[in-house]
Amino acid sequence: MSLRRVVLLPMRAEVLKGHLDGLLLATLAAGPRHGYAVKEALRVGSGGHIDLPTGTVYPALHRLERAGLIRGSWSVVGGRRRRSYQLTPAGRRALNQERSSWQEFSAAVSALLGGTPWPAQA
Amino acid sequence: MARAGVSGPRHRPAGRDPVADWLAAIAARLTGPANAQVAICDELRDGLLETLERHLARGCSRREATATALAEFGDPDTVAAAFAPELAAVQARRVALGLLSTGPLVGLAWIAAVAANALPPWRLELSGPWLALPLVGLALVVAGAALGLTVAVTGPLGRRLGGWLARRAALPPTAAAVAALAAVVADLTLLTVIGGQTLIGPGPSVWAPVLLAVGASLARGTLAGRALRRCLAARAAVT
Repeated sequence: MSLRRVVLLPMRAEVLKGHLDGLLLATLAAGPRHGYAVKEALRVGSGGHIDLPTGTVYPALHRLERAGLIRGSWSVVGGRRRRSYQLTPAGRRALNQERSSWQEFSAAVSALLGGTPWPAQA
Repeated sequence: MARAGVSGPRHRPAGRDPVADWLAAIAARLTGPANAQVAICDELRDGLLETLERHLARGCSRREATATALAEFGDPDTVAAAFAPELAAVQARRVALGLLSTGPLVGLAWIAAVAANALPPWRLELSGPWLALPLVGLALVVAGAALGLTVAVTGPLGRRLGGWLARRAALPPTAAAVAALAAVVADLTLLTVIGGQTLIGPGPSVWAPVLLAVGASLARGTLAGRALRRCLAARAAVT
């Protein structure tokens, strides 16, 4: 297996940056996950397009926790301390807001780049 | 100094294997509250070992699995730098909350000392060494503003500031440092004033509250001085 580096294909990193919080919150919508599981959920859920350096997922999770959007808790798994995160009510609201914003944004971009009408015409 | 997360019994000393080396490198680069550093290193260690185990389970050799896991995590400089704004914010918030909780106690101790001895401010007079008292007022105003800013930007409100705050990671530790410096100035001023009053007389007649206030200012001033240094170190890590 060859060494893997940061892979963001075909998504540009700067495009992802503004949506990273929403993406991380989305990975926790189904239930608590620890850092590596969050990173894997991003990779698998995006079909391999979003594969962040694992080490930088953790600081983002800490930032979301400090913002009160997720809550971390410690457990011991296989003799190791593990920190798992779950959405708070504020985080769930923020996720819904992110989803709405994204749908509106993507519809507008699709209309411009894909030739579909926006807002949707009856 | 034993570094967070790599000095305990769960961690092997640096030099034994690349994973331990990587964690030691991270620990050496983190700046902030010790318990936050330990938590970060423990969390990274768990994630790194899980990544390693998954690659081993897929049939990689140990060397290959280790190299791949470390590459997935990123280089220590990048990872530690990504944590720096968070640690700086945690440090700043901790200092701010500490100053906010001790400030009123120190203030009450000095009010009690002044009242018990009917010192000039109690008679609404500013004379002799008490002429320096407005400096304490100014320090309190500066500290209050800086503390308010620190608490605001390091709490949930900070998220509303979004990218603006993300580009100003030095703001929380700077504001907290200003507050800590103001607290030091206030404490030093009060200690100088009471020392001057005692020297030029008439000195306090009821010493217990004075000693309590002096002790409170000495303790708070010392802690604020340490907090100032830590905030400046946290600020340096994000600039």
